[in-house]
Amino acid sequence: MDKMIYCLLLAKSNHTKPETTLNSLKGVMEADLLAVEYHNISAIISDVTEKQLIANKQRAMEFALVIDKLAQKYTLLPMRFGSMMDSADSVMEMLERNEVEIEDNLKKVKNKWEFGLKVIYDREKLKEELAAKQDNDKLTLAKPEISSNNSVYSTYILNKLKEHRAEEQILSFVDSILAEIRSHLQELKAVDKCKKMTNDTTLIDAVFLLDKKKKKEVVNLVKDLQQKYLQLNFLLTGPWPPYNFVEINIK
Amino acid sequence: MSDNKILCNTGTVDLSIHDISEEVDKLINDEESKLKLTPENADSGIAKLVLTLVELIRKLVEKQAMRRVDGGLLSDDEIERLGETLMKLEMKMEELKKHFNLTDSDLNIDLGPLGDLM
Repeated sequence: MDKMIYCLLLAKSNHTKPETTLNSLKGVMEADLLAVEYHNISAIISDVTEKQLIANKQRAMEFALVIDKLAQKYTLLPMRFGSMMDSADSVMEMLERNEVEIEDNLKKVKNKWEFGLKVIYDREKLKEELAAKQDNDKLTLAKPEISSNNSVYSTYILNKLKEHRAEEQILSFVDSILAEIRSHLQELKAVDKCKKMTNDTTLIDAVFLLDKKKKKEVVNLVKDLQQKYLQLNFLLTGPWPPYNFVEINIK
Repeated sequence: MSDNKILCNTGTVDLSIHDISEEVDKLINDEESKLKLTPENADSGIAKLVLTLVELIRKLVEKQAMRRVDGGLLSDDEIERLGETLMKLEMKMEELKKHFNLTDSDLNIDLGPLGDLM
């Protein structure tokens, strides 16, 4: 029977054998979990039917819950929902083939949590605020004689230019906040991945990997940032297993 | 996302619960942003795809043009002609969107981890 793989973990990072923890857990659709071990690493798997592989919210949550519970006790690499192999023997062979790479990745995330930080904004309000700062009402085109030309086309260009400058101001604003966040994260020795303006409400979408002991510090950091930027919402989530920091090509 | 995973959620941005849950639903279902091609809607499905690409290119051209205007690189006459061209392009796009019953958000494809297209 096919096997669904939930995660790969460092079995020796904890004195409790994975099997003991697995007894108290259930996989997707109440499936029993078991560990396939190879030297220091284990793959957590369950039998899988076609029905279990149909992705929906509940099954995705059950899958994530197994990973989350195990991450409380072990250093692990989460697998994508739907990762499967045809037998436990194949899983064992996969562990054997990829042992070095898996161990290298596990070392990188050992004793670390992932956190997510979204900076949410009201685009129009921020535009207005930044425009007011720059006294954008006095905007003119680069050449004064152009701005005095009141044809419909030059007025159109003037309006577009105003929008363009507002966008540039937002970009510059987001760059400055991002630099500030990254500088604080570097002080905490965090590894980060940041994206800016992914949609109309998210100014910054960041994930970072941080020492487990530094959770309180990162919460305080976000609270401080919130005090400084009252016009923005800071949404900090975690701790998560290292979903965004696994770089491995399973052979 | 369970509540105990939210470590800090503060601020004054007036985003209603409805806005946030809409975003979450979008993440879970991801249906809205998918190109739904079936024999019945092949025309509008293709139109959506083509207009998305045209709109993306139009916006890139507009951005580049604004950079040149902002840099003072264009003469009055060039600005006038540019304004006419960009305005007509925008009007034509509006016409096409109306014809195929598409909105701006229909043309803003969700690229998953990369964010929205535009």
